[in-house]
Order: sequence, then structure tokens, then C-alpha cells
Amino acid sequence: MKRRTFLQLGGMTAAGAWLSGCRSANERLIPYLVSPDEGVTPGRAEYYASACRFCPAGCGILVRVSEGRAKKIEGNPAHPVNRGKLCARGQAILQELYHPDRVPQPLKRTGPRGSGKFTPISWGEGLSLLAGRLSALQRERSTERLALMTTQLRGTLAELADRFVAAFGSPHHIRFDLLAPDWLRAANRRSFGQASLPWYDIAETRYLLSFGADFLEYHLSPVHYGFAFGRMRQGRDTVRGHFTYVGGRMSLTAASADRWMPVRPGSEGALALGMARLILTESLYDAASMAASGLWPERLAAGLEAYDLPQVAQLTGLPQQVIAEVAREFATTPPSLAMAGEMVAFQDNGPEAVRAVQLLNVLAGNLNRPGGVFPGGSVAGPENSFADLLAFVERMRGDRIGVALIHGDPLHTIPPVTGFPEALARVPFVVSFSPLLDDTALQADLILPDHAALESWGDVIPPVAPRGTVIGLMQPVVTPLHDTRQFPEVLMATARELGGGMAAAFPQQSYLEMLKEAMKKEVHPAGGIDFETVWVDLLRQGGLFKTEGKGGKGYRWTAEAPVPAPAEPRFAGDDKRFPLHLQIYPSTAFYDGRGAPLPWLQQLPDPMTTVVWDSWVEINPATAAGLGIGFGDLVEVTSPRGSLHLPAVLYPGIRPDMVAIPMGQGHRGMGRYAEGRGVNPLALLALADNGTGPLPAWNATRVRVARISKEGNLVTAGNPEGSYRGELIEI
Amino acid sequence: MEKQTSPYRWGMVVDLDRCTGCGACVVACQAENNVAICGKKEIAEGRNMHWLRIERFWVGEYPNVRARFLPVLCQHCRDAPCEPVCPVYASYHNPDGLNGQVYNRCVGTRYCGNNCPYAVRVFNFYSHQWPKPLDNQLSPDITVRPRGVMEKCTFCVQRIRRAKEDASGEGRLVRDGEVQPACAQTCPAEALVFGNLADPRSRVARLVRSPRRFRLLEHLGTHPSVYYLKGGGREHV
Repeated sequence: MKRRTFLQLGGMTAAGAWLSGCRSANERLIPYLVSPDEGVTPGRAEYYASACRFCPAGCGILVRVSEGRAKKIEGNPAHPVNRGKLCARGQAILQELYHPDRVPQPLKRTGPRGSGKFTPISWGEGLSLLAGRLSALQRERSTERLALMTTQLRGTLAELADRFVAAFGSPHHIRFDLLAPDWLRAANRRSFGQASLPWYDIAETRYLLSFGADFLEYHLSPVHYGFAFGRMRQGRDTVRGHFTYVGGRMSLTAASADRWMPVRPGSEGALALGMARLILTESLYDAASMAASGLWPERLAAGLEAYDLPQVAQLTGLPQQVIAEVAREFATTPPSLAMAGEMVAFQDNGPEAVRAVQLLNVLAGNLNRPGGVFPGGSVAGPENSFADLLAFVERMRGDRIGVALIHGDPLHTIPPVTGFPEALARVPFVVSFSPLLDDTALQADLILPDHAALESWGDVIPPVAPRGTVIGLMQPVVTPLHDTRQFPEVLMATARELGGGMAAAFPQQSYLEMLKEAMKKEVHPAGGIDFETVWVDLLRQGGLFKTEGKGGKGYRWTAEAPVPAPAEPRFAGDDKRFPLHLQIYPSTAFYDGRGAPLPWLQQLPDPMTTVVWDSWVEINPATAAGLGIGFGDLVEVTSPRGSLHLPAVLYPGIRPDMVAIPMGQGHRGMGRYAEGRGVNPLALLALADNGTGPLPAWNATRVRVARISKEGNLVTAGNPEGSYRGELIEI
Repeated sequence: MEKQTSPYRWGMVVDLDRCTGCGACVVACQAENNVAICGKKEIAEGRNMHWLRIERFWVGEYPNVRARFLPVLCQHCRDAPCEPVCPVYASYHNPDGLNGQVYNRCVGTRYCGNNCPYAVRVFNFYSHQWPKPLDNQLSPDITVRPRGVMEKCTFCVQRIRRAKEDASGEGRLVRDGEVQPACAQTCPAEALVFGNLADPRSRVARLVRSPRRFRLLEHLGTHPSVYYLKGGGREHV
């Protein structure tokens, strides 16, 4: 016996003797002398490639799995969207998997709706309950009374959901996301004749001008653009890209800007057109680009006559020379890049304001050139899902929906002013697929819990990728913890239960089979190569990444596109009773609220305010002083729709006539970490209507703020006194 | 200056011009190192357990106001004020330039925390819980620190160890970029760069020669191994 083996055996004996004395039931000693179980190497972790579907950006991830348990999530370096990087939210989805309050098996409602009283049932019972309701609709020949509501799905999951609804004979598949870029697709169609989402070449630009596009937080693909931002700043030897941000509130993105232009809410479009006019009158435009887009400088300038500098300065509340300086810098620092974001689009003149920003890119010649903007990929999507939502609410109100299948948490993310909550209450049978008892699940009659993302199969198609085909693949990295089933599998099982045409619509045995078929179509394996081999390779690298070639049709201003004409902004609430503009913005940590149940994200100090575990309202210190409000005071924010109580944060980076509240908190359920924490500001929003119908203008509501007490119970990780005007370190 | 006995001197560069303050590094650190979940009460008492925090500074007044971010982690000082005060040698300096903390030596005097000018040492005032099955996420590479123990950023020493073992198995030194702590690995803007300062060709050593370089509270003479690169360019405030 070798000395080494002897020591190993001796060690094992000693450890074994000690362990047998104090062994708990769930401990298992992995012997390291006999060969360990397959996939288990003591002390050595395995990495599984997968994809993140927390937000629509669709980054690639690597999950570190040790002894059958997921330990850590990292970015996948091979994925062209995030290149090995990952945001805070993506890393925290580990806690979705191991959340202590997950729904472990199907539940049937026993108490009144919203009471949270459910009784556990088996999957067989749950599926036959659902199938029973659906076959009743079939018998009554009213299959159009079924509705499926999901977030904006893509890839095979979207196809499967569409097919389910279509095969059943219902036209209602509602795909609404509060933050979905419908507005950008619609604006692109109007200006450029194509609805594809843009890809911004931030890394190579020299002058970035963002109109309310918070691309470092949530806009389209924050990790992708965060990476590009780092390169724009310090990735080139001699050029440091300049960044100007336009918006009434200094967002996290704006905090990285060289210049912040706190424009009056709703006047962003006017500012863009004012800059455009100045560029035209001073002949700073790119003549080739104008000609390619069929625009005549003189005619365009005449069309923008109303936007002369003094007028724009008055509309926007910015000094004339600042506007002129930025316009000149933008036009004379090629390649430059203008982006429009949610904070502009969610004004009631948003659709035209976004187009005004696009016009700037045409003037400066930034279309389809490095450092500018390209059409990014071919992902189609809804251009006005808000109209679909309102039509759906109308149907529910008229008792024309019998069964609603809901994937996601619309009760939390749809502003109540749409009438959605009351309308949903009229639907006789609501099914939720939520893995946690969220606001929607609490109102459901049946809960068929979905797998966590790390237990699921799937394809994740990012909306923003340089070019080519990028499909991220999700694979289960651990065996499912609970008796849950993946949402698409449940739809397929229900179809099989219903039989007939429904079963025939899903010939595949499982969702995995369907996914593999879809991928097979994408890769066309060459003759002689077995698809199984290709499939294993795809799973190993995390998906299909074909980034070469396939340059689509570039952007070009269409002949029919009218000159952008943003109307005078209008707001809900008169300026006497409601003197302050309200801005709602997605929280850095929680996105639209789906991150709230994860304790890592609750504990993560908000970057701008360092607040933890709470909601807050941001007020300019001067405004707060006028209202007698101090840091952390409890205040009441009242809009024409309602009022909320929450603590105040004195925020130097916001206009004095504006307050801002982050989205994401205020859940009625969603587990111990989110329940009853903070407020949901969507309750304050009123509906805007510019004559053509209701608009998703979520930043067009006015409010008033009043102090209640000093018991705001606000906790910040940083000391607000210490860091405020802190000169501790010269940076 | 002491004699260099190891081929490594680990250090980090934080480029403030790239840093966007997004907080990805904070969560990465917490996930990698079994850092406890702290509730509102604990943070209100100033007892947050994060090893890496992002300081936010407001400079100026509206409308000429700027927000600045400063990620602060253990500076791994060469002349660390935390080390000489530990009565049980729990806080020590390793040959690679890391400022180590031996958890099973620590008796919780908190002298080191008092003496740290950067306030990056955190103390387990409470017994922290991971409600089942949340405990499954705990990494087996790192101890879960009990109540009464001081803890801090280690530059993810478990990763460094593994890389060094792998390298020495192949009879070579650790390559530049082969090992990085969780924070640097995840940083979307690549603001955090980790590497061997003793290797003049490493990325971190090249960045350290930048004229934008500075260190936190340099006048205290702690000689930190974390260098910052000043942000900002043509600024309007």
C-alpha cells in the first residue's frame, strides 16, 4: 500500500467515525475512493449553458452546477449578445429556482378569489378540470370564449401558444408587455417602412444622444449595450465617445452621461426637431444621407419652421445656447447616434417624438453605418398590443370570455386604469401558470405551476443582435425540485386530453421534441451528420450563433413618411390641483416587478438612491423644501386616479416640477420577500387619449405630493447625509 | 519594500469611466461567496453584509448636477491597517499580496473592522438563515460564516487557488485573464479588470500605468492593490 492510499483510508475512517455520530438525515458522504456517480465529481463543478429569459434581452448564461445543485449563474462568453457578461437580475434567477415559497404542485381555489385559500390537487385532476372547462366551451360551440394571455413570447413557445389557441378556434392570444418595444416597431414602420427593431452600434459611435433611452438599465438589451458603452468610452485609443442624455429625470443611464439635459416632459420631440432645424439651417447635415432618403433640405427646413431656437428653448425649458451646442456637436462629430426610449415614447405625443429623434439620425447620416443604427435581425412582433389588450378588456367586461389562461402576472404589470382587474374578475374560470402565488395567481381558480427557468427547455431569441441568426437554448440544469410542469407541456397535455382536432394539432410527444424539430430546421445538418450530434453541440455552446453575413435591407426614410409632428403634450390632471409630473420607470433591480421575489435583488441597493427593500418617490430638494418634506418622510402622492403612501427621497437629479417612482414593488403575493412590500405606482396612472383612441402614455399623469409624517421607514445602504455632496474622494 | 516571494501580486483596476453603477458586481459577489441575505432591519443598523458596495456621490446642484459611482471592495492594501491589530492573526497577508481572513481563527474582536479606512469589512452580528430550499444555492467552495466572525472580499481566493493548481499541474504560471473574481467576470462594461500586477505585460499592469490612475485615500499610506482610473472627459458640469 502506498503511503498516499494509506493516508486517504485513514482519513476516511476517521471522518466516517466522526460523521456517524452526528449525521443528519439529508447528508450523504460521497466516497472519493470508489468512482463517484455519473456527473458528480466531489469538489469539481459542472457548467451547463442555457439562456436567460428574465427580461426580453435573452442573454446566454452558464450555470455552475455542483453535486446536482445549481450554484451560480455567469454570462456565456460564446453568446454574441452578452459575451460572458451578465446583469444583476440574470444572476439572481437562481433564487427563482430555490425560492422557498414556490407553488409545489397544482392548486385549486377553495376560498373566495384573492383570499389565497387553495387546496393542492394532482396534475391529473388539474388537467381534467381545465379540459372539462374547455370541452364545455366546445360543446356550446363558443370556442372564441377562450383567451390565452402571455407576455410577448418568441420562437417555439410563441408558435405553440398560437397553435393552441388557433386549433381550439379562438382568436384571442393577447401578448401584452408594459415595456415591450411596440412603439419602436410602429415608429420604424412609419418612418422606414420596416418594423424591425434597431441595433445601435454604440461601441463605435463618437457622439451618443439618448432621448430617454435607458439602455444601461432595461432598454432593449442592457448587457449588450452596457458592454458597448464601456468600449465606446475606453475601447479606442484616441477616441472617447461623448454621451448626452435628454430627459427630465437623471436615470442610472443618464448618470453616466457627460451632459444631462433636463427637458420639460413631453417636449423631447420638439427638442429633436429644433436640433434638426438648426442642423438644416446651418447646413451641417449629411447631404448624401438626405439624398438617399429622398429628403430635400430646404423643404424639410420649411416644414420645421415652427421649431426655431427661441421657440424650442421655451417649450423645453433649456437654454438656447445649450440646444444649439448639442445640435452642432451631434451633426459635426460623425459617426453620431440618436436613440429614443421609453421615457419619450410613454408621453402622449410619444409616437411622433420617437420619429423626430429618428429624423436626427437621417440628417447626420447615421443610418446603416458603423457607429450608427442598423436594422437588427428579423424578429417581428406586435406593433400595438395595447389596442389588443383594450379590446380584450372590453370582451371580458361583456362576459364574452369564459376561460382565461394567463402566463405571467398581468394584474401587477397592467395599469388598473385599463379596467383589466375588474374585467378579469368577471371571467368565470381563470388559470394561472405562475411558479409563485403572484397577484394574478391569487385571483385564479386553478394554478398549474410552471417550472423555474433553470428547470425548463426552451429557445430564447434575443430582440437585439448585431446580425445573423442568434437563438439561445435553455436546458434544465437540475432535476425539477417540485411537482411542477413546464407551461408548453401543460398546453400540449391539455390538447391531448381534449382529443380530436386539438390533439392532432400537436403531433409531437413533448415540447422538447418540438424544440428539436424547430432547431433542426434552423441548422440543416449537412448530409451524413446526425442531428443528435448537432443538438448536443448546440446545447453545449448554449444555442445557435450565426453572426456572419445576412445584412438585411438597410433603413431608409420612406417617401410616404410624413415629417414628424409631435403635438403639444397633454397630461391627465390639471396643473393647479396636480402641479407635478409623474414619471414611472422600471426599477434597476426588478424590471417590471418580476424580480421582486428574489432577495438578492431586494437587498441590492438601488444605484441612484441606495434604497433597499422598498419603494420610494424621488423629489427635487427645492420642491421638497417648499412642501416641508425631508429625506425619508412618509408622503402621499395623489393623482386623478388615486393616491399612494410611500417614503420620499430627495433627489438632486430630477426637475423641480417632476417626481418619479420606480416600478416593481407593491405585490399582493409573490412570496415572503415581495409580499406587501412597497407600492405599485401603476395604480396612479390615468389613461391618455389624443383623439385617436387610448394610448399607452404612462408618463402623462400629473400628481400632487403632501407630507404625512416622518415615519417613512426608509432604509438606504449608503448614508444619505454622507454621500450627498460628498467630497470624501476626489473623483 | 518587502521582498517579493511569489510570482503573483494580485490587483484590480476599476475604470470609473466605464463603470455605470448597475450593481451586477454586487450580486455576483453575493452569489459567489455565500454572502448572507440581510433584511431591512439589519441594513438600517448599518450591518449590511455586502463585500462590495457601490458608493454614489452627488456633485453639484440641479440642473448642474452629476451622480458619480465608486465601487468599493477590499483594497488588499500592502500595508493593511487591519492586519497588525488582530490579536489572533485571523487577518493576515499572503505571499500573493492578498489580504486574507482566516474565519476559524477569528474571535470577533472587530478591531480590524474599526481600523479599516475603507469600511469594507463586515461582521456577522446575526446568525444568517437560508430558508430551505434556498440553502441549495450555497457554494461548497466557501464556508458559511457563523455569527461572531468578521468577513470580507477575498478577490475570490477559491478561484485563484483553483487556477494556480491547474497551472502548476501543467507546470506553468497562471495566464493573464485565466482567473478573475466574480465581480470582474460579470461587469457588463468591463470596468473591473483583475490580474497580476507583478507581470508588467498583464492587462491590469498596463492599465495601472494610465495617467488617470489614483488610489483611494492614498495619503494614508496603505498602498492598496486596487487602482481606480478617473472618469470623465469633456464635461459640462
